[in-house]
Amino acid sequence: MSERDAGRDGVVITGMGLVTTVGTSAAEVMAAMCDGRSGLSTPPPGHPLQGAVEVAGFGPPIDPAAVLPGPETRVVDRYIVMVLRAAEDALADAGLEIGRDVDPYRTAVVVSSTGGLPTLEAQSIERSQRGRVGVSPYLLPGMLPNMGAARIAIKYGIRGYSSCVATACAAGGQSIAEGLRLLRSGLADVAVCGCSEAPLFRTLADTFTNARALARGWAQDPASASRPFDRRRNGIVLAEGAGVFVLERAAHADARGAAGYADVVGWGATNDAYHPITPRPDGEGAAECMRRALADAGIGPADVGYLNAHGTGTKLGDTAEALAIRTAFGDHQPPVSATKAVTGHMLGASGMAEAAVTVLALRRGLLPPTQNLDDPDPACELDHVRKLARPARLSHAVSNSFGFGGHNVSLVFGQPSTRLARAV
Amino acid sequence: MTDDAPAAAESSTDEQIREVILRSLREMNYDTTGIDDATLLGPAGADLESLALAELLVRVEDAFGVRFEDDEAEQMAVLTVGEFRAAVAARIGAGAASSAVG
Repeated sequence: MSERDAGRDGVVITGMGLVTTVGTSAAEVMAAMCDGRSGLSTPPPGHPLQGAVEVAGFGPPIDPAAVLPGPETRVVDRYIVMVLRAAEDALADAGLEIGRDVDPYRTAVVVSSTGGLPTLEAQSIERSQRGRVGVSPYLLPGMLPNMGAARIAIKYGIRGYSSCVATACAAGGQSIAEGLRLLRSGLADVAVCGCSEAPLFRTLADTFTNARALARGWAQDPASASRPFDRRRNGIVLAEGAGVFVLERAAHADARGAAGYADVVGWGATNDAYHPITPRPDGEGAAECMRRALADAGIGPADVGYLNAHGTGTKLGDTAEALAIRTAFGDHQPPVSATKAVTGHMLGASGMAEAAVTVLALRRGLLPPTQNLDDPDPACELDHVRKLARPARLSHAVSNSFGFGGHNVSLVFGQPSTRLARAV
Repeated sequence: MTDDAPAAAESSTDEQIREVILRSLREMNYDTTGIDDATLLGPAGADLESLALAELLVRVEDAFGVRFEDDEAEQMAVLTVGEFRAAVAARIGAGAASSAVG
């Protein structure tokens, strides 16, 4: 019996909250992809990244005092502030109050992050200048990677399973997979899943620059810098962002009259077991990840009507992913597009925005295009949706997330199994 | 004039300590309205939790170049602002005395 069959019912998304460079809702990210509205720019005046990177994705300003008690707002990382805002929006969107609508001990929170490294950097600088007294006692609660999950638990009274996965750029997708598994296993009725990343600080920008991993030569045209699958792609564009979903057992959502956006119907996860940062050139790790996700969903390649690619805009990454998709889907190649062209690379948090776009594409029957894909690289041959959105009728859609460390995660989404379907 | 000098210096140190405490609390985003010498630092008064008490101590250590021991830090929650100020003043005095001896 598969894990899916063991579950009493489906797992549905009842709430979504996002913080991205192109907006704070799935609809806005979808519209940015369709209209070619880029969230990328040169660093604003006074930003620490001025002179360090040509182009990046700067998220909206959020006042820490709006999401945290006053005394805790001074040494707290931007990733925590963004994820608290996304969680607030997701829970409001789901109309869910912990304790009133769901048992706090049957509510889980799985929220991932690389952690508050900008805050560690700032405190390290303080310490080197002022010594011990320059270091705040609040540093750890302000930066540990699990503090997104922990602070959401504290703020909303979530008392069940809580965790933080740390699989780099696969972490958002993997948090959703973890939530799916918790709900299927019967350990929880609701899982708050998410990821948040704040990579716009000097040390990280410098190491990416020195690794020759950032897109370069686009300072005069920032909107063109992120070019998944295009011949002229030459690296990633760092961006900040966060996303939180409320996952719920469909029977639980029905019982409280909540409408579902879409079901999460399958997941797959593999590791390339090849190299710390380079993907397997044969794409076999990613291909097997997608095969496993389809098998878990109980569907075949022909059932997938859209695939949202990890598509970062790196030479090796996009080539390996395209090969992996061709291998996994064989004679039934799905239409493919990549969101990072407009959002930039929000590391693990990209998985949340991309899952949200995948859900909207599925529900609207409209596949958003990959912007900047002017000249598809022959090495990345796929059924690319580019330039214009493409109408389609589809039952299932897939989202890929791959991370440094060789972590691969694929998710399969299906039409909502709740009595009520959320308008999109 | 010369007789008055030590007393004046003492009260000016006292005032400095009070100012550092209040400024620290404001910078830590605590509301300082209504806080006086009789206000307890901990939950029954200014409502500083353990990390906030720790931060206040670090800020005072930084401002006056003194050092408090861990067991002294543990007592802070039950001190009033006035008692804490006196403890800081005593520590500054002890530091001055020891450096004078040294």
